[in-house]
Amino acid sequence: MLSLSIYKELPGFTLDAAWEAGDEVVALFGASGAGKTLTLQCLAGLARPDRGRIVVNDTVFFDAATGTSIPSRRRRLGYVFQGYALFPHLSVAENVAYGLHDRGREERRRRTAEMLDRLGLTALAERRPRELSGGQQQRVALGRALAVDPELLLLDEPLSALDAPLRRQLRAELMGVLREWGKATVLVTHDLAEAFQLADRVVIYDEGRIVQVAPKSELLLRPASELVARLLGIRNILQGTVVKATPEIIELSWRGYVLEAINSPTRGYLPSPGTPVAFFIRPEYVRLIRKDRPGPDPGHHMNRMEGSVVREVDQGTNWTLLVRLDHAGEPAQGDYDLEIEVPKLVYEMLEIARDRRWAISMHRGSIQVLPAA
Amino acid sequence: MDPFPVLLSFQVSLVATLLTLLLGLPVAWVLARRRFPGHDLVEAAVVLPLVLPPTVLGYYLLVVIGARGPVGQLLGALGIELAFTWRAAVLAACVGSVALLVKAAQAGFESVDRRLEQAARTLGRSEWNIFWSITLPLSWRAVFAGTVLAFCRALGDFGITLMVAGSIPGLTQTMPLAIYDYVQANQMREANLLSLVAVATALLFLLGLGRLARLRF
Repeated sequence: MLSLSIYKELPGFTLDAAWEAGDEVVALFGASGAGKTLTLQCLAGLARPDRGRIVVNDTVFFDAATGTSIPSRRRRLGYVFQGYALFPHLSVAENVAYGLHDRGREERRRRTAEMLDRLGLTALAERRPRELSGGQQQRVALGRALAVDPELLLLDEPLSALDAPLRRQLRAELMGVLREWGKATVLVTHDLAEAFQLADRVVIYDEGRIVQVAPKSELLLRPASELVARLLGIRNILQGTVVKATPEIIELSWRGYVLEAINSPTRGYLPSPGTPVAFFIRPEYVRLIRKDRPGPDPGHHMNRMEGSVVREVDQGTNWTLLVRLDHAGEPAQGDYDLEIEVPKLVYEMLEIARDRRWAISMHRGSIQVLPAA
Repeated sequence: MDPFPVLLSFQVSLVATLLTLLLGLPVAWVLARRRFPGHDLVEAAVVLPLVLPPTVLGYYLLVVIGARGPVGQLLGALGIELAFTWRAAVLAACVGSVALLVKAAQAGFESVDRRLEQAARTLGRSEWNIFWSITLPLSWRAVFAGTVLAFCRALGDFGITLMVAGSIPGLTQTMPLAIYDYVQANQMREANLLSLVAVATALLFLLGLGRLARLRF
């Protein structure tokens, strides 16, 4: 269990963050300079908040109200630093054993050997950090942090120093280690894929503030605001106007069409008509209507529109089509209105390279309305 | 030639260097790792002996440790005499050389990545322990270089020593003072010999320093 509320002012930057988490992996996601690492340092006792309270597993790490602040060395944490911060003058084994100084000689030897074995580092035990590859260094840093059997594991951009192919491999490896370990873990990352693969819960930071805390399964489906959607790199974020809102349905006017979207039952968001709102539809959820197979009835295709492909981008396994609607007026995203993603096979079967005019539809469940931040 | 001044100089410099390390390392660490009001003032005060005339330093030191100075009175009450003994020469050498050690060690400590010390902190080590296991092993070259420079400077001190320890042959007369006396008495052969000893010693130390700095551990 981890509960944290911190306020800290630095020259030109203010961190004001509060969130909670269970025995799970929490990813702090956001751009560089958003306050993620500072949060980690406050958790570790390496930085001191001006105000606030930090409680980990019923231990009060910090409480400004009572002046409590447990020093870093008594917080029992494993901290994997960005760039790893391995001790360059010590061997791999000595690095891993460094936190075990207060155990008996026998236990220290046993635990070190165990940890080296678990991370596949036994053969490298006598090497110095500078003789290791990036991936090996990452494992040593993890081993050094886990060797002390910490109450809380903190990882600061654990994979960002690595090349892309290695990063994918180590991400899977790291996930295995974290699952096995099973205690509270806080992971700082600016890589959304990393957050999604490794974490159970995502805390989104923006300029020192928390803009959303959500289980990762909810995040892409229900970003709390347009800002979150943009931070998440969601495409097709569009601006419309509310025509009608009921607890079930929100009708939006956009580019001369009236679109129907399902209102989130949990949110109960009821903006009055005329309110400008942002909404998005994921590019892979926009449907092309096949000309060879018309729908069973005219009402089958919801939110039907027509337009033509102005450009396309080969993504390898998919094609991204940039479509401009037929309606007059300024296109929503530069020279196009919608981004549509289709699998390569579909692109070829429908002969999209040749056939540029398409009718499209969007299921009302795929249109996500974003409350104003 | 009387070997006394050479032996005394080495004894004084050795003790002075130990004392310098004892006092200088904590100061260097605090300057490198802590921010506090008056930080810059302390830093300037540490360097001051390098730029002040030795006679000024000697004068102030004498004011403090002389028979009527605060420290002198305190020690006098305990039956310990300081001014115009070889111990005063140690203090003089210390005052003259401590800045060299502090500046070198401070630069060395500052060059150690702070995150290494932070990592050590999260791994349960105390600040004292971190200094010995991380900071010093990663900066020993700079500390060692500072120590050698401080030793050589202590060996060569003239002005401060003369002010607080005098130049009593067979008692407080160190090598540089003896050279001065020989020259005054027109005993050029002796002056020449002692000067050669001083040059050779310094050269030897500096050569050894260069050799050690290239070693990898």
